[in-house]
Order: sequence, then structure tokens, then C-alpha cells
Amino acid sequence: MDKEKHGQTNQQKDPTALITKIGLAAVFLLGVLLIFLGIRAQRDFASSGFSTENAYQVIYTLSRDVENAWQKSVKPGLNDLSDSEKASLDEIVVGLLKDAAESQSKGAGAEAEADARSADESENYKLLYTTYLVNGPKVPASGRKVITAMSEQEASDFRSKLLHCVLDEALPLPDEAEKLAGSLTGSERQAMLMQIFFVSGGSADAKITENVNNLKKTVRSKESQLTAFRMIAQGNVSWLWQLIISSSRTVILLGIILMFDTVLLALLMSAEKLWVLDIKWILILLIVDFLLYFQLLPLLFILFRAVFPDGTFTMEVLRRLFTYPLNQVALRNTFIAATATMILGTAIAFPLAWLVGRTNLYGKKFFRFLFVVTYMVPPYVGAMAWLRLMNPNVGSINLWLRTLFHLSDAPGPLNVYTIPGMIWVLTTFYYPYAFITISRAMEKMDPSLEEASRISGASPLKTVFTVTLPMMTPSLISGALLVFVSAMSCYGIPSIIGKPGNVNTVTTRIVEYVALGQQGLNDATALSVVLMLVALIILFISDFVLARRQYITVSGKSVSPAIVHLRSWRIPLTVIVSLFAVIMVLIPFITILNTSFKVDVGKNVWAPGNFTLANWTTVFSRAETMGCLKNSLIYASIAATVGLVIACVMSYLLQRTQLKGRKIPSFLITLGSGTPSVVIALGLIMTMRGNFGLNIYGTAYIMIIAYMIKYLMMGMRTVVSAMSQIHVSMEESSQISGASWLTTMRRITGPLILPSIAAGWFLIFIPCFYELSMTTLLYSSTTKTIGFQLYEYWTFTSQPMSCAMAFGILIFVLLLNLLLNRLTKGEFSI
Amino acid sequence: MSTVTIDHISKSFGESLVLKEINETFQDGEFVTLLGPSGCGKSTILRIIAGFEKPTSGNLYIDDQLVTGGKTFVPPEKRGIGMVFQSYAVWPHMNVFDNVAYPLTIKKVSKSEIKKSVEQVLEITHLTQYADRFPSQLSGGQQQRIALARAMVAAPKLLLLDEPLSNLDAKLRESMRFEIKEIQKKTGISVVYVTHDQSEAMTMSDRIFLIHRGVVQQSGTPVEIYDTPKNQFVADFLGKVDFFKGEAGNGRIVFPAMDGQSVAYDGPLTGKVDVGIRPENICFSPDGELQGVLETQYYLGDVDDCRVRAGDTLIRVIANGYEYHSLKEGQQIRMAVRSFMVFEDDGSLDQMLKIRT
Repeated sequence: MDKEKHGQTNQQKDPTALITKIGLAAVFLLGVLLIFLGIRAQRDFASSGFSTENAYQVIYTLSRDVENAWQKSVKPGLNDLSDSEKASLDEIVVGLLKDAAESQSKGAGAEAEADARSADESENYKLLYTTYLVNGPKVPASGRKVITAMSEQEASDFRSKLLHCVLDEALPLPDEAEKLAGSLTGSERQAMLMQIFFVSGGSADAKITENVNNLKKTVRSKESQLTAFRMIAQGNVSWLWQLIISSSRTVILLGIILMFDTVLLALLMSAEKLWVLDIKWILILLIVDFLLYFQLLPLLFILFRAVFPDGTFTMEVLRRLFTYPLNQVALRNTFIAATATMILGTAIAFPLAWLVGRTNLYGKKFFRFLFVVTYMVPPYVGAMAWLRLMNPNVGSINLWLRTLFHLSDAPGPLNVYTIPGMIWVLTTFYYPYAFITISRAMEKMDPSLEEASRISGASPLKTVFTVTLPMMTPSLISGALLVFVSAMSCYGIPSIIGKPGNVNTVTTRIVEYVALGQQGLNDATALSVVLMLVALIILFISDFVLARRQYITVSGKSVSPAIVHLRSWRIPLTVIVSLFAVIMVLIPFITILNTSFKVDVGKNVWAPGNFTLANWTTVFSRAETMGCLKNSLIYASIAATVGLVIACVMSYLLQRTQLKGRKIPSFLITLGSGTPSVVIALGLIMTMRGNFGLNIYGTAYIMIIAYMIKYLMMGMRTVVSAMSQIHVSMEESSQISGASWLTTMRRITGPLILPSIAAGWFLIFIPCFYELSMTTLLYSSTTKTIGFQLYEYWTFTSQPMSCAMAFGILIFVLLLNLLLNRLTKGEFSI
Repeated sequence: MSTVTIDHISKSFGESLVLKEINETFQDGEFVTLLGPSGCGKSTILRIIAGFEKPTSGNLYIDDQLVTGGKTFVPPEKRGIGMVFQSYAVWPHMNVFDNVAYPLTIKKVSKSEIKKSVEQVLEITHLTQYADRFPSQLSGGQQQRIALARAMVAAPKLLLLDEPLSNLDAKLRESMRFEIKEIQKKTGISVVYVTHDQSEAMTMSDRIFLIHRGVVQQSGTPVEIYDTPKNQFVADFLGKVDFFKGEAGNGRIVFPAMDGQSVAYDGPLTGKVDVGIRPENICFSPDGELQGVLETQYYLGDVDDCRVRAGDTLIRVIANGYEYHSLKEGQQIRMAVRSFMVFEDDGSLDQMLKIRT
């Protein structure tokens, strides 16, 4: 089809080709001009002595000075405090936090009130920071419970004393900083100082991180404004130059993109020998630019930063992986947990896939649905359920076991807050990955391969070992590797189960480190490099090595696998599988529901006075929850819609054109989906804060982009496979009937792939909707999502309430899944 | 070698009855072909013989030993049968040698024995030089021969072939026919061959079983089944045939639709009949019994495919290709009928293609 089109245009080639070439050259030159202007602007900026770069340097040196001053003058003073005084300080801070949270939940109505509050909050956080310095990086849980011994008056005295020494006396500012500080208004100065403070801050507490992020954003936007005003005040530049100066990096970025695109376009066009600017080209370029800038750049930057942490080459950052105990432990835990999950998950998935796919087990369809549905459930929901079940003190299973075996009331026998506990929960969530991969391969296997073995004299069991199993090996390995990567990259489960038990993994450490200043960022980078490289190597193995060795021959005729009759084993095996389903799926879901009606999580829901609907009504009537829900719906919808447009374009390019570069974006999309979420988010944080021309840090955009990079693949695969099933001749026969390309798309191709498009949309939407790992790193107070809100409720507020929220999410996701099933007649229920 | 006795076997899948009371015996050393359109039940018979399907009722004996029936069921691996599948079912994770050796390794034959037998059978199937290759490196025809070699290596008494040539291209298919037949002759093995290709069946078979709608319509040698079909379906399925309605009596059959022309007939039928004439059995002859106007002719080189109008009827004549040059469209012409088949015209729905049900 395209060849014909090309043929047509070839006739009028000469004038069009010339215009196109001139146009390309012009755009290329424009790019060069922009880069030139940008560089000029940066030079001017630098010579003005007030570049953003300088400002950052000043702030950075300042932060170290402040740190020193703080260590020298304030900390010793605080160390003199008695234990009880420290405890009360904790209490005050917790109290202040509570106040802040409450005023927040009252609704963010009046802006003035909000402003006042933020000023107040910043003080609170300073205090909290102080206690952190005193007590180490963790506010002890006891701090939340201890009753204050300090009176109202004492507390406020203490607070003002602290503030005083932080803001005024303890801060001998260096000259430059003094100058800089002098040009700022009082509140700006405070904000700047706050930033300085938290750049070297020492906590991963979500509340603090959130506020720090906000402050950083404010300060940064103030800076660029300040710069601009300052330049204008100097009076010697036009507003246009001013604009270029204040956004020189963006201008350079734009220039680079234009140059890159025109070169790429010229290369592609000369390869095709067709010098006509087609809409196809624009689309492919947009997608490539998007992926290069938002996906490849951050990943490469992480690699770069690992060996050039501050511009000079050093292996120190990577060496710390093996020398710094926290890193060592995290790596070891992750490796142990992922490996064990892989082995356990595959060991569960293979027999299940065989029983469900190849035998006459009762209720096969139902079991298949049940095991596959787990794939759609947010992992942290499962973690919450198992935490309630296997909590060493009050876990239901523990209580039950104690009664059954007449054990003492001592904690245990099971403890979820351990590596085995985490492995168990990871397994319950990731065995479906192996199950899906393996059963897909089993169903596609030509049954005559096994029959040939039978007729050759091999018994059914012998056939399983000599034919079925070896033939399944590639799928088995790739299923197992998928489980390994997923378990390794998972954040939701370790964050809920591992952290309270002090079982840290690479992902939880990365999230924690990000807030810990320069050294923290270095460590996070190093861990990310490990995570990313392992994930990408595994992706390479399963996509390019194993895929070639797949023995599955997809023949034209439909294959109905031979069913093994279980005979007398049929009932016992059905019972075993049912029991498994009850343990893996039913009990966790019921636990979540059950907990959501409790007042006291430790007591039975039917205990007098323990049943309440308040959790549900409270959670779902709070403006904050609704706001987060709205955010989640909006972000996920945008990510799914834009993602699907890209997916459609990509599948058209892949399936219907012979364009030379069409595999590049599809490769990048595969790469993105294979990269662990935490790494994607970290990469975006490190590159999207203005240093590469675009500052979207702390906005909704950065989250939507992260979601798209991670989940685009789900949608693309669906649409591509749908399109590959529509033979080109269907489109060609529409064209030969006189329909234009657009009409053909609208009347023939569109309707045929519509169900898959809908399926693809939901496949992107659902995981984005409940996303947690990336959100944890990228959110700001205005862009919180429901997944994160749930996590916060679980960690800081109330477990029953978060269970109510979790069950709500669960129902919503299951309904979407049913809808998806309906839309595609059961073809894409995952 | 081996006999197969199918004793009143019926098979239904759910509601649909695919085999109805099949009752046949395949003789020792015989090359039997089960022929029929797709969905006729021929593969089901083969799979019942192999033991991959169980009949709904009836018994199956191999060499007078009951293998399926009543409470007896001998599983496929205990039947000592060789089988070639339509998709070849060559195992991609084993090389050619291992694929072929598999039935012997299952039997725990000694290594040297295995090597000898496999080499012998690879020799017969012209695969010797490919022994170390993996199936994915071989062509369809070669994979097909691996499947054949594997089926024969353990010297089974009975060889089942399920449309083994249908995935090959035309030329290869033709040469494989003769190869398979040669191998069968050499080894004297009993073969049950399933196909929907009539020329395949005609080339190789000692006996053809023509099956339609789960019933054996006719069985016999290729000559019997082609020349004396028992019903219109059989006549139609094998070769080309045109049917004409006629009236038999007084030693002749009159065709009302051909302006009352007639041909001599000394058979037993009288009254309404269906006359089946194969186009290659009519020839142009000045003293032929029928006459008409030559309407069209298609020159195919070796033959001249003509249509002659007689009254309201078009008669197809496949004449010698040489005659094309002496004939003109529109000319009056006489035709002689060398042989024809007469069936009762019972006026039922299936009158044209009468089927045994």
C-alpha cells in the first residue's frame, strides 16, 4: 500500500523533494541558531555573576557551612537535654504534625490561610529536623505515644530558642551568601534557608520529603524570577534576550531537538529515497524525541552519575555498594528475596498451569480467572492483607495457630516482618506472572508433539519429562526471570512489610536515600544502576535469547491441547487447587474487607463495639481522599490516552510500513517497560529539575510521563497483536473499493481493532491508577494519588481506614477487569 | 504383519455423531487409505486405532487382540504402532538422530542397536547426512521424512499416516507419494493412510475406503472404486463426472433434456435413472449416438476441454488436445459414449449425490 503511495508521489518528486530539503536545512539552521543563542545567553548570564548555576553553588556551599555550624553549636546543646526532654520534644513535634495534618484535612479553602499555615509548618519541620538530629534518622515509635511532660509555655520557649539559633545567630553567612540573602525578602530568605537545611536533611519521612519538595520548587521558581527581574533592572537587555537568558537551557534543548530531528529525518528520508514530509514522519519523530528525552536521557544520566558523581571520574560511588553496610544488606536481601520468590513462584505456577491448562480438573475456567486476576491487584494491598494475617502479635493466622496447638501468647509462630515473610507475600503476588507465561506456552504447544511420544512407546509421565518439560523450558525460564525481575523491582510489598521489620531492599533504600542529600543520592544512584542493569540483562535474555529458542510453532490451524484425564486424582487435585485459591486469593481479600470494619485491628470484628462503618464513611468523605482519587483518575486517563495514541501509531508503523527506523521506538518502549519503576522515577528526578532544559519536577507531568514510560508497553503489545491479525488485504480491498486511507482506517481497521484499543487503554489505565513506587518519589502535595494516599494512611494514620480504601480500589480494579473481559470477549483479561 | 479389525465402532463428540457403526477389516500388509472430504471422520478412525480417542461404542482389534472395547483400553504407547502426524510433530529440542532414536530409547534398546537401526532407517529416508542437525534447520520435506523415519524405526507392525503430505508443495508431494509406497513395499508393513487428496489415494493404496458423514461409502481397489462407484457421491468425489436425468427401458436410456436423444443400455434398471458420464469417456466420432452443437472449447495443450449443447443440456467432453485444430465452435458434432454409470433416480434430496447414511 505504501509502495503504491510512494509510486504516486515519485512522479512529482523533483519540486517537492527540493522544497523538503530546503525546509529541512532551514529547520536545522534554526536549531543551530537556537543553540548558539542559548550558549551566548548562558555566557552573559555567567558574566552577570548571578547565574542559576552560581546560585546553586552558593546554596550548596552554604548548606555545608550551615551543617557545620549546626553540628558545632546547636547539636551539642541539644545533646545536653535529658532523655525526658528529648521525649517531650518528640511529642511536641508529633503534636505539631497532627495539627498540620488536621488543618490540611479541613480543606484547602482560603489561600491566605494556606499561606499562614505553610509558614507555620516550616517551623514545625525545622523542629522535627532537630529531633531527628537528636535521635538519629528515626523518630522512635515510642515518641508518638509518650505523653508530653513539657508545658505549653516551655514548649514554645524551646521552639523559639531553636528557631533563633538556626535562623540568626548560628549562621555566620559567607560574603556572597550575605549579598544574596540581602537581596531576598524575609519570606524568600526563610524559604532559601529552609532549602539549605533540607538539602542536607536527614530523613525519609514522607511528610518531610513532601514539604522539602515543595520548598525546593518554590525556591527554584523564585530564583528564576529573581534572576529575570535583576537582569531587567540592570536595564541593558531587551525583553526577548531576557527571556532567552532566563530559559537558556530550554532554548539549547529546543535547538538540539530540532537539529537531531532534522538529521534523523534526512537519514530516514534518504534511506527511503522519498523526500516528502509525511505526517508519519512527524509522528515517529515526536515519539522518538519523547522517548529519548524522557526515558533514555534519565537512564543514561543515572549511569553517568554513578561514575561521575560530581563531574570527575570516580569508582567511589559504586565501591560503596560493597563497602557501605546498608547497601550490602539491601543488595543481599533483594537478591535472596527475588531468587526465593522466583523459585517458589515457578514451582507453584508450573503445576497449576498444567492442571488448569491440560487436565480435566473441575472448574478450570474459574481457577484461571482467579489466578490471573491477582495480576491486576496492587501488590501493596496483598502486603497489607498478609501483614494483618501474619502479624507476630495479633495476626489472625498466628492467633489461630496458637489456639490450635495450645501455644503461649508469645509473638509468633509466624512473623511477616522477616525475609521469609516478605518472600511469601512476594510469591503470592508474582506467581501469576509465571503462571500466565507458562500456561500461554502450554496452550500453544502442538498436542501431536506429545502424541508422537506416546505412539513411540512413552508413558504419559515419561512424555512429560522427555517432551513436554524440555519444550516448555524456554517459557519456564522466561516466566521465572519475569518473576525475579518483578520481585526485585517491587517497592509496594517491601515498603509495607520489609520496612517495619527493618528488612530493607534495594527499592526501599533508593526511595529512602533520595531525600538524604548528596551522599544519599549517590547511594541511590549506585543501587539504581545495579537494579537497572540486572533488569535489562534479564529483559535481553528473555526477549532476544529465549524468544529465539521458543519452540512454540504457531500454526494456522487452531490447536486444542490434548486433555489428560486425572481419573481418581481429579477430585483430590481439585480440592488442593481450591484450597490453594482460598489461601492465595480469598483469605487476603476477605482480611482486607474484614479489617476495614474494625475499630481495633487487634480484636475480632464481631467483638462488642468493634464493628464500624466509620472507616468507610470517613475515608470516602474526606476532601483529601477525593482529591487524590481525582488525581489518580486524571493522571491514569491521560497516561492511557496519550499512551494509546502512541501505541496505535507504533503498531501502524510496525505492521503496515517498511520504514527503516520503526523498530527504534518500539525497542525503547520495551526497554522502558523493563526498567524498574524506582529507577525510572529516580532518573526523572535527576534530569527533569531544569538541568536539562525542562523543569517539571513536582508537577503532574512528571508523574504522567513516568507512568507512560513504564506501562506504554502493555497497551502497545495489545494493539500490535490485534493489528497483526488483520491481514493487509482487508485494508487493500477497502482501498480497491475506492476508500481513502482515512476512510479505510475509520471503517475497516478501526472497528476491527477497537476492542483491542479499549483493552489496551485499560491495560495502561489500571496499573497507573493504583501506582505507588514511582509516585512515592515523584509526588508533591498537590499531586498525591490514591495509591500513595493509601500508603500514607497505612503508615501514619489508620490501618482499618486504609483497608477500606484498599478494598474500594480492589473493587474498582476488578470491575474494570470485568469490563475489559466483556469488551474483548475474554481475550485480554490481564 | 498386522490386521486391524474395526468392529461396529461409533463415535460422537457431544451431540454430533461423527462415526456411525464402522465395521471393517484392514488386511495384513495392506496399504489402506481412508479418503474423504474434511470433517468426514477419517482422522477420527485413525486416532481411534492409535488410541488417542476412545470410540463411544464398538471394539477395535489389532491382530485379533482386543485393544479398545468394553473395559479394555490399551494406551497408545503399548500398541506398537508407528504414526506420522500432519504437523510432523518433530521435537524441536532434539536433533534428527535423537528424534528418530526416541522410540528405541524408550524400549531401552542397547546403544549399538539403536545406532544401527537409526542409521538404517535414515538411509531409507535419505536423511543420513542430516543426523546431527536440528529440525529447525531442515525443510518441510526433510522434517516429514524425520517423522516417517521415527515412525518406522522400531519396526512397528502397523503404520498410521495422518495427511502426511498436505503441508508440502506440489512437486515434493508427488515424489514423496512414490517414496512412501516404495518403503511400504520394501518392508511389507501394514499402512493406514488418511488423506483428502484423491490422486494420493489412487497412487498408493491397495484399498481405498471412501468415507463421508461418518459412513464408509465404498471400499475397494482404486480401479473398482473409480470405475464402478456405488453411488453418485463416490462417482463425484473421485474424478470428474456429469449427471444427466434419463428414462431407461427397451434397451436404451432416453434423455428428455437432450431433445430425446438416447444411448444403448443393457443393464437391469428401468424407469427414472441418473446417468453419470465422465467427460474423458466421451469422444467425438462421426458414428456416435449423441449429437449436438459445439459451443465452447478450451485448449489446454494435452487435452481439449469442450462443451457441447444438446437440447437444453451442456455435455462436457474432454477430447484429445490434437482435435482442437480441426474443430470449430458452432459446428454440428456427433459423440460416442465409451462407458457410463447408471444410478436409480429415487428423487430424494440427495438424488444427485446419493449418500449412504
